[in-house]
Amino acid sequence: MESVHKELLKIENLVVEYTSEDNIIHAVNGIDLDILEGETVGLVGETGAGKTTIAKSILRILPDPPAKICGGKIVFQGTDILQMKEEEIRSIRGRQISMIFQDPMTALNPTITVGKQIAEAVGLHEKLTKSERKQKAIQILEKAGISRERYDDFPHQFSGGMKQRAVIAMALVCSPLLLLADEPTTALDVTIQAQVLQMMSELKKEFHTSVLMITHDLGVVAETCDKVAVIYAGEIIEFGTAEDIFDHAAHPYTLGLFGSLPDLNSENRRLKPISGMMPDPAHLPAGCKFYDRCPHASPKCRNSVPDKRKLGQSHYVRCFYSGGNV
Amino acid sequence: MSTILEAQDLKKYFKTKNGYLHAVDGVSFRIEEGKTLGVVGESGCGKSTLGRIVLHLHESTGGKLFYQGQDITHVNKPRLRQLREDMQIIFQDPFSSLNPRMSVRETIAEPLILNGKERGTDLNNEVDRVMETVGLPQRLADSYPHELDGGRRQRIGIGRALALNPRFIVCDEPVSALDVSIQAQILNLLQDLQEEKKLSYMFITHDLSVVKYISHDIAVMYLGQLVEKAETKALFARPAHPYTKALLSAILLPDIHAKKERIILKGEITSPINPPKGCRFAGRCQYATSRCEEEQKLEEVEKNHFVACCRAKELGM
Ligand SMILES: Nc1ncnc2c1ncn2[C@@H]1O[C@H](COP(=O)(O)OP(=O)(O)OP(=O)(O)O)[C@@H](O)[C@H]1O
Ligand SMILES: Nc1ncnc2c1ncn2[C@@H]1O[C@H](COP(=O)(O)OP(=O)(O)OP(=O)(O)O)[C@@H](O)[C@H]1O
Ligand code: SF4
Ligand SMILES: [Mg+2]
Ligand SMILES: [Mg+2]
Repeated sequence: MESVHKELLKIENLVVEYTSEDNIIHAVNGIDLDILEGETVGLVGETGAGKTTIAKSILRILPDPPAKICGGKIVFQGTDILQMKEEEIRSIRGRQISMIFQDPMTALNPTITVGKQIAEAVGLHEKLTKSERKQKAIQILEKAGISRERYDDFPHQFSGGMKQRAVIAMALVCSPLLLLADEPTTALDVTIQAQVLQMMSELKKEFHTSVLMITHDLGVVAETCDKVAVIYAGEIIEFGTAEDIFDHAAHPYTLGLFGSLPDLNSENRRLKPISGMMPDPAHLPAGCKFYDRCPHASPKCRNSVPDKRKLGQSHYVRCFYSGGNV
Repeated sequence: MSTILEAQDLKKYFKTKNGYLHAVDGVSFRIEEGKTLGVVGESGCGKSTLGRIVLHLHESTGGKLFYQGQDITHVNKPRLRQLREDMQIIFQDPFSSLNPRMSVRETIAEPLILNGKERGTDLNNEVDRVMETVGLPQRLADSYPHELDGGRRQRIGIGRALALNPRFIVCDEPVSALDVSIQAQILNLLQDLQEEKKLSYMFITHDLSVVKYISHDIAVMYLGQLVEKAETKALFARPAHPYTKALLSAILLPDIHAKKERIILKGEITSPINPPKGCRFAGRCQYATSRCEEEQKLEEVEKNHFVACCRAKELGM
């Protein structure tokens, strides 16, 4: 791989809200995120942090209403997706940018055989004859570790892992430039997860695809990501290379996440949970959103939102406290 | 140390249109007073069914069950009610396992009332005490489940299970639906309660780092059967069954320097409906030979370490 990577996607100051009965839910609050060519960027955070909302904003498939993109830019290969005409974005969806959705089982149509669905996806992308489409679909199934005899099976005849492998292979058939993978292995058993991640990494190498890996599992991040964005209450509170985040984490929330995990290599029988919980996105606090759970909070944190503080080449943190780090 | 619960050759078959589904098929184990037995295995291997037979929430198809040395395989209603005071369950999904129309106070009081406790100050004090034990602030007593977050809902579930002062609790994936920061709060709580009250747990999970953290002993389940059983340390240090090895190798650690060889399983999962008598893992096992078509029994490979695989010894640990 060459050492200088080109920028593929650049999100700037994205703001997304959902309007419910009498509330405004501040789901995404001014995030910036860059993805370079061929790179896998992890987006980690807990339930409700805004991960899926970001991915759906990129494809412009948020339900509107209640969702509304209130500001920002999503620049893909030099053009702002948010300014594109409907036809333009449609020609990008599923071709240059594909998405694997959080619930794998809903991605396949239960009434059509798996093979046929893959062949159709191939057809959307390339002008091929019927038999060429079928040939290509068989190749894809085989890449996913599924034998050609299963071509005429319906989705319910596949196990969960097979379905997920088929869905991922399908998302990658048109060799998209960017894959948005929303919790691609969360619903799977660990042995199946290992299979699926291995397949993803092979396909990714083959097609040189960039991946936005959405997950709440730091183990998945460690296994797959080059860079990591930690998201909390709709803000990226820390960003860096995998090494920055795993070896030199600086934000009290990131450190808290690591402390909460049972450590397989230690005999310690006590975890260090983060106290309290994420603030209600309809009533966000004025200052740092982690304020009331943070062991290092000061009066300043209560009143003002911390800016990005640079800690390294690509490492930044949004936190006033610098006691434990740098 | 005394044994609180012992299971011998427990079975649960479900009738389906294609034949009998062997959800639990000849499972034996023992849980000591004040200890935790972790039960791990993949989705559908029979963990919840096992937990349910132990608590008589399912009638078993075969086998025997002993509580504090007494045979409780078949019990009458009054005895069952007595046992319910001692043996409780915490469910995976804190939302669907709670009645949406009952407040926190009513939810925790219900098992007490069902067991004959009168409404009144005494009952209220009892509920207050339980709420305090599980870390629920008094001001939430009149809240309803949908007004609370997952962590608090799970605390209600734990409070409800604790209300009758049980000695033994089946914890069926009690933290799987929770975020890690909340999961840690609940795991610590379960551990404190165990120490304080000398509780014994059967802890069901598919999360191997959680099971290692919380269990004294671990039973690894595959398609209705135990394939390995050992003290926690021994299991992680010297896994002996090919399935356990694959399972442990697949754990993703939150550490970028811990890259290791993963065993990627191939092959198809055997159907639990009328399964063959041989090893049920054979279809995915790289070591399978013709001997694996025989029935595999748990055998002791080192003290307190049991494995059901004819090749375990020769393959080394
Ligand atoms: N259709 C919707 N209407 C109203 N609010 C929504 C909608 N979709 C999401 N939200 C809210 O927006 C916030 C962010 O949700 P999002 O689904 O992006 O989170 P997430 O990080 O993907 O969470 P998870 O890990 O649970 O998938 C949450 O507070 C959520 O409740
Ligand atoms: N009431 C039932 N009738 C028929 N089959 C059942 C019933 N309950 C469970 N099963 C089957 O028994 C097997 C074991 O199910 P069980 O729920 O015990 O698995 P589990 O290990 O708890 O899985 P999970 O991790 O997904 O909760 C599965 O094949 C399941 O489909
Ligand atoms: S009995 Fe045979 S098939 Fe089963 S785990 Fe052992 S070696 Fe593999
Ligand atoms: Mg999501
Ligand atoms: Mg279960």
